[in-house]
Amino acid sequence: MPGSIKTQAVVLRSIRYGEADRIVHLYSATRGRIGAIAKGSRRPKSRFGGRLEPFFRLNLVLYEGRGELLTVTGASTVAGHARLRADGGALMAAGRACDSMLRLFDDGEPNQPAYNLLCNYLSLLDADPAAASEPGAALAFRLKLALAAGFSPELGSCTRCGEAEHLSAFSGSAGGVVCSACEGDGFPMTEQAHRFMVEALARPLAEAPEAPGRVAALSDRAVTETLEHHAHVHLRAVA
Amino acid sequence: MYAGPISRLIGELSKLPGIGQRTAQRLAFHILRADDDDALALAEAIREVKEKVGLCEVCFNLSEGPRCRICEDERRDRSLICVVEEPADVIPIERTGEYRGVYHVLGGALSPIDGIDPEDLKIAELLERVDSGVSEVVLATNPTTTGEATALHIAASLRDRAGANGAVTVTRLASGLPVGADLEHADEVTLGKALAGRRALG
Repeated sequence: MPGSIKTQAVVLRSIRYGEADRIVHLYSATRGRIGAIAKGSRRPKSRFGGRLEPFFRLNLVLYEGRGELLTVTGASTVAGHARLRADGGALMAAGRACDSMLRLFDDGEPNQPAYNLLCNYLSLLDADPAAASEPGAALAFRLKLALAAGFSPELGSCTRCGEAEHLSAFSGSAGGVVCSACEGDGFPMTEQAHRFMVEALARPLAEAPEAPGRVAALSDRAVTETLEHHAHVHLRAVA
Repeated sequence: MYAGPISRLIGELSKLPGIGQRTAQRLAFHILRADDDDALALAEAIREVKEKVGLCEVCFNLSEGPRCRICEDERRDRSLICVVEEPADVIPIERTGEYRGVYHVLGGALSPIDGIDPEDLKIAELLERVDSGVSEVVLATNPTTTGEATALHIAASLRDRAGANGAVTVTRLASGLPVGADLEHADEVTLGKALAGRRALG
């Protein structure tokens, strides 16, 4: 039914379109992933200003017609994240976070915990760009996002036999840690990397544990392989 | 539905950016109705541009020969390099009449989402150019997220090399309000930058 809707959303991606328009991919708290066109938004005197750039959190008025894309008719800023934009590492981390949202969630699938997590991570990157773009925080975000999407790796016991001891490997196809007897196609997982993933999921994002080199690489591989096998999406490496 | 050559023309035109099937049909029929001279001039212009225009070996701007018009101009200040994303970005800077240095065209901007990494851009070539007696690099990438990320990456790379090659001044185009715009419509990030970069009058 054509008409206007109001929603709060984060701009995940912004693509130039035509002479002066822009197509934006948004993630909304109430509507999930949305594609919308903002006409004339690239003109210097556009009423949208720079608000439709990625990472802006906005209150939006959108017109929903019969087409696939909605039309942006109004936008006001909730959070612009200015400090994040002045730090190369934070920009890359925020870009990876938005890319994960785009790949993990389909159109029209609202997921409030995922939306809250993204807003929280962007706020952290803005508050302390250097610390929040460290691999520990970036991987904690990705693990929590996998949990919100329903693809969290099993970390408590062997995914294949339920054994709680001797968890020495991780299997993406099995979707979690495996014991030495069930290792199969898994890769060796150190105790430190296992502990990092458990703590990263348990602690608030702002208190994410540190992930030194090998811990980050193993944890990153574990999440990436789990999502490849079960969500059929490939995410760019964090570590 | 249409004869082979017309369908082919419509198909080719509809590959152009911003041209859908209907617009392609309208353009195809316009070409069919046009004088032979006009239609063939269009075909000849496309052929000529593809045959003769390449990239300048120094700055990667569009060029008819090995070097572009700007790189061949002896009056240009070669110690000043303005870095832009695309060849089209050179034109608005030239139109200001304020800039007398040379350019470096990166061929895009960093975008991890699209898989565009530093190796995909002409950043290594820029760093090599800076080693040969350049005093200032003006980063004029677009004030978008990808443009800012590119500018920050280049600034960091130049800083890392500064120890070996002496200091190079790295500057960024100022951000602020467009002439004739309303404060009411300015976004908070732009207005914040405009306030931070305010200048004394008189």
